[in-house]
Amino acid sequence: MSDNLRESLSALMDDETNELELHRLLAQIGNDAELRATWSRYNAVRTTLAGQAAAPLSLDISDRVREAIDGEQEDATPGKFAAITRPFASLAVAASVMGAVVFGGQQLAYLDDSGQPGAAVAASASPVGLVNSLGATSVQASFGTQALPGLKPATRTAYRELCRQRMKSYMEEHAEHAALNTPQGLLSYSRVHRISE
Amino acid sequence: MTGFGRRLRVVAIAALVFTPVGALAVPPACPESDVPGLKWLEKMSRSAQTLNYEGVVTIQRGEDMDVVQVSRNAGRDAINESLTRLTGPGEQVVRKAHPQACVHPGSEMLQLGDALNRGQCGISQYYRLKVTDGDRVAGRRAVRIKVQPRDMYRFGYVMDLDRETGLLLTTKIMGPGDRLLEKSQFASLKYGPPTAEPSPVQSEQQAEQTCSDDASEAKAEHGPWSPGWLPNGFRMTEAVDRTSARRSYTDGLSAFSVFVEELPRDIRPGEGVIRSGGTTSYTRGLRLGGRPVLITVIGEVPVNTARMVADSVNWEVARAD
Repeated sequence: MSDNLRESLSALMDDETNELELHRLLAQIGNDAELRATWSRYNAVRTTLAGQAAAPLSLDISDRVREAIDGEQEDATPGKFAAITRPFASLAVAASVMGAVVFGGQQLAYLDDSGQPGAAVAASASPVGLVNSLGATSVQASFGTQALPGLKPATRTAYRELCRQRMKSYMEEHAEHAALNTPQGLLSYSRVHRISE
Repeated sequence: MTGFGRRLRVVAIAALVFTPVGALAVPPACPESDVPGLKWLEKMSRSAQTLNYEGVVTIQRGEDMDVVQVSRNAGRDAINESLTRLTGPGEQVVRKAHPQACVHPGSEMLQLGDALNRGQCGISQYYRLKVTDGDRVAGRRAVRIKVQPRDMYRFGYVMDLDRETGLLLTTKIMGPGDRLLEKSQFASLKYGPPTAEPSPVQSEQQAEQTCSDDASEAKAEHGPWSPGWLPNGFRMTEAVDRTSARRSYTDGLSAFSVFVEELPRDIRPGEGVIRSGGTTSYTRGLRLGGRPVLITVIGEVPVNTARMVADSVNWEVARAD
């Protein structure tokens, strides 16, 4: 992993990334197992040092990996020591299935390329209910023997747009709870882009 | 792969070695220096149940500035409140007849009462509190509470409270390095039952005010999904049923909500984020338990926190408390 990426990751942890860096990092992290593992590890160490039980780590790219980790966690006998070591046990499992990560990653990357051109993020009937953003960015991937490519910028933009849309549709529901449970009260509603009737 | 495995072991060992040090580094139960801050925050929280006022508040988020009119009328049994946007198209949120007896988890965390004397320190487990003199705000003398997070999973705050009544006059949400993310402040304030005619509005919305009896014991339902990890001190804001697509959490000062959508078909995995003032919205598409899902975390928390929570969402797996 490059020093640049490592720095970006640290900046993400400290909430000090600029917008460009943040979007580049988020686009890359989905395709980079080492980057994901490093991020999980950083968080585990920082939460532990802050006195909180370490987060259960998950490498999220592949169901096979997730299931392997879940299986490992279920097998572990609960107890203080297990609580401390479990995340690292997960990491060990994660390392042992690293090959699967790469393989699984490729499988996922192929999702919209599996015999039905543009199936996953297809135009009008995209699975997320978007009409003109994800649909316009269907990317034909061609891997061959080359390393797994990063998300194309178009897809990166698409996820940002998707996020923007979800923020609009969910903000009001979040504001209802923030209004009742934070000192700013009703002012939380001022964060809603357009308060609906 | 071998090299990577070795590095993992090194980190694992390092973390294990550091764990006891981390445990020792946790401050004692209730730092004396935080007590004045805790008392002020309690006064602030209780004042929200008793004060009548109306005023104008300015809200700054980056380049954007919003101006809203607020009013609160607290009766013996119920509170009526409204917020009217004075900029842009007229919009109003009204909360009518919110029962006085209904205290939500976020307020409970600030209203320690006698528990403070018994050594409970509420949010000072997660934030350092410092009380100083504040500037005058909307003509009122203020006291300033500087609230600094003890970990990296939440933002800091600078709050100015009315020295006399405890009303929250200014809220600044601060990122790392004292970076101002969002500021709301009373420009004018008048105590007493609201008298001003509300400005004409295009739309009016009733604010939700669910108050379940067991709100104080709101716990994560197990399934069909739940986050496997939350930052220390965050609790659910209400009990939800199994089918709810949303869970909301608060630590008393900030809140975030998690939304999970099952998608009808696969989506190219990826993630995106939008930040606006103190609010982060993070969306991630992935397969979870064999299903294509879209997870969105929205709240007044850093991106890294939103990503951690989204990353920990399990399907049909009990939350590890």
